[in-house]
Amino acid sequence: MVPRIHNSHMITFILRRLATGVAMLVTISITAFVLLNLGATDTARRLVGQTASAEIVARKAAELGLDRPLGERFFEWITAALTGDLGRSWQSGQSVVDAIATRLPVTLSLTIGAVIVSAALAIALGALAAGRRGWTDRVVQVLSVIGGAIPGFLIALILVLVFAISLRWFPATGYVRPEDSLGGWLATIALPVIALSIGAIGSVAQQVRGSMIDALRHDYVRTLRARGLPHHRVVYRHVLRNAAGPALSTLGLQFIVMFGGAVIVEQVFSLPGIGQSAVAATVVGDVPFVMGIVIVTAILVVIVNLAVDLLQGWLNPKVRLS
Amino acid sequence: MKHSNTAWRMSALGAVAALALTGCATQGNASDENPTLRLGVVTPLASFAPWEASWANQSPYLQAVYDTLLHADTDGSIMPALATEWSYDDSRTVVTFTLRDDVTFSDGTEFTAEVAAENILRFRDGTSENAAFLTGVQSAVATDTHTLVVTLVEPDPAFLIYMTQNAGLQGSPAMWDDPAAQTEPIGSGPYLLDEEATVAGSTWVFERRDDYWDAESYPYDEIEMTLYGDGTALMNAVKGGQVDATPLQSGTQLAEAEAAGYRAEISEFDWTGFVLADRDGAVNPALGDVRVRQAINHALDRDGLAEALAAGWGTPTTQIFRQTSAAYDPSLDDRYPYDVEKARELLAEAGYPDGFTLAMPKSDFVPEAEYAIYAEQLGAIGITVEWEMTGDDLFGRMLGGSWAAFPMQLQADATAWQGIQFSMLPHSTWNPFKTEDATVVELAQTIRMGEEGAEEQAAAAQELNAYIVEQAWYAPAFRIQSAYVTNDSTRIARQADNAVPYLWNIKPAN
Repeated sequence: MVPRIHNSHMITFILRRLATGVAMLVTISITAFVLLNLGATDTARRLVGQTASAEIVARKAAELGLDRPLGERFFEWITAALTGDLGRSWQSGQSVVDAIATRLPVTLSLTIGAVIVSAALAIALGALAAGRRGWTDRVVQVLSVIGGAIPGFLIALILVLVFAISLRWFPATGYVRPEDSLGGWLATIALPVIALSIGAIGSVAQQVRGSMIDALRHDYVRTLRARGLPHHRVVYRHVLRNAAGPALSTLGLQFIVMFGGAVIVEQVFSLPGIGQSAVAATVVGDVPFVMGIVIVTAILVVIVNLAVDLLQGWLNPKVRLS
Repeated sequence: MKHSNTAWRMSALGAVAALALTGCATQGNASDENPTLRLGVVTPLASFAPWEASWANQSPYLQAVYDTLLHADTDGSIMPALATEWSYDDSRTVVTFTLRDDVTFSDGTEFTAEVAAENILRFRDGTSENAAFLTGVQSAVATDTHTLVVTLVEPDPAFLIYMTQNAGLQGSPAMWDDPAAQTEPIGSGPYLLDEEATVAGSTWVFERRDDYWDAESYPYDEIEMTLYGDGTALMNAVKGGQVDATPLQSGTQLAEAEAAGYRAEISEFDWTGFVLADRDGAVNPALGDVRVRQAINHALDRDGLAEALAAGWGTPTTQIFRQTSAAYDPSLDDRYPYDVEKARELLAEAGYPDGFTLAMPKSDFVPEAEYAIYAEQLGAIGITVEWEMTGDDLFGRMLGGSWAAFPMQLQADATAWQGIQFSMLPHSTWNPFKTEDATVVELAQTIRMGEEGAEEQAAAAQELNAYIVEQAWYAPAFRIQSAYVTNDSTRIARQADNAVPYLWNIKPAN
């Protein structure tokens, strides 16, 4: 019997979280803008190239407004950003909003795909280990440690070597949009998703296993068993739901880690995602583009954290009430 | 029930796998008459706006959508393009071009001499890396619809070469004040950018333009250019057969590419070593003595450096001019053999028997091992290197004269005049201390008054090269070998004066 709570509590909770998110966004924007501009002392030269004369470098700096005070430039940027205009990339000239809109689906394809794969496999493995214990448990634990210990880029390289270059089952590099070919899209994201997932599977599986072992010791489990409920029903319907909270938090964290980890995977597979372009933009000091990525990433973090909190509440009413 | 669930799951898995494999099957080159060319590129596009455009590794993007006033043949000789004829006056400062009368931009605007004149001036006043190429352009005017007259302040033997490159790109007037010009090209070139299929910064797709005036020079209906900024991704694409033609990022990748069935063309465009910039001893008095600069040259074990820094993909040299240049002299490649004793003697003669301390910049762009090797070789003759860590202000400080010498990888220009203009004249960007040497200036003046291949100019170029090597303005270690690879279905003709082949020289093998 799930106790009912007032909708107003839920709305207050969401609003409070959103307000925290907005405060975080403002703080991150100011910090990132200042760091990017203070750290980059020769942006104009990096944009025009090493062979450019001092006069051309100065011309570029003036064109970008780099000769104006930092505060004035930030005010201009934030005013435009509040209207949804994140400016144009200094490097490519593309609208930052358009560039992110093109690239974000690629990175989200990888990250969401990896979260789904990690969650499915980690829950299955964690539940199996907790439910059976013995050698099954030991095998799962060893595999989890190995999965977590191997760096993602190494896994990516091995996957490319075996499945793309030797067996030619998948393309080695590149990305196909789902609207162009669903099969092509699955083929291009399959290996990157696996590469991103492996590290997360281990840590989430360990979390699921630990929480389930704790939950299995509770009195209600003995009661359910005494009532004659089948083992798999006790484990998967009751214990797993009660043990899912910590795993969900870990998975939420993993989503953010994988979003960042996509940088390496996107480079290895030459995928046109956020990560690949973020590296290039940071190297040349493309302030508008990097700021755009920072803002989008921060918004995603806020959304994911909020979603995890709401799911926790759905799984465990006690969390909602508290 | 349990079995039916399992069966459903297996079916779903099978469907996903089938979809995935269908996707795989759609990868790769089409085998129709005018296939898609899948071109690898290793440098992102700076801009599609002609007045901001770069060249070299970026030339394929620009040649797809733009024409240039002139073309360069594979050996660098000037060929007609939008200009069918051209001539200099006796002072070699006024060039008259006769332009084609059948060319339109992709927005329907006619290409005229007035448009060409404005494009040249915009490049001169723009923010392209190479805008300085045209600083000598005094005026560009249309004397009639198809006659363009460009007046130079002084003779510039490279001017026509520049018109084959980014400085000669012709964009539609509609681009000039368009904020989207950087990403939305309007040219008169053989292809149109497919903006829908393009992901700027990653993949650019170009579709054939049906009404192009020289369509037969471009056999492909579609060109797909993919940027491989990461060496691993590039080699994965090569080994996975996903590119038809691509430059490699280093010679060390060549063995893998050849094992994957690609053919390679090797060229040398850059040199690596030291710029001994402080020839008057302003920052470090020791560098003001030619014997010290010669000693540094003798201290370099060039074979060892080529092996250690480029896995053997380098040709030891002591000159900075490219082999295609009239200045190049093969005998100068070993003017300074590796000789520690000789180097020590020269230092002693110059008054530095115990060596001296030399501050040089160090950055994250270069592997730490490289600095260690250089420091070790200079240390062997008594020069203590003090590496000063720098950030992204490296080039600004370097060109502003902060260090007497610095290790660098630089381009070796196709012609003698380009190399001289780039780094040897008092106003040259890469002459940080603005060294003014009467011999260099006089020989440069002779070189600028004629064609690169003319007898008098070639002799002056050779003399200038020998003088620069003798004066040890640089301590080059080796010319870097770069490879361009193609698969069985593609053939190329390599461009003597460009890092990658020109687009019209990439064709299907059959």
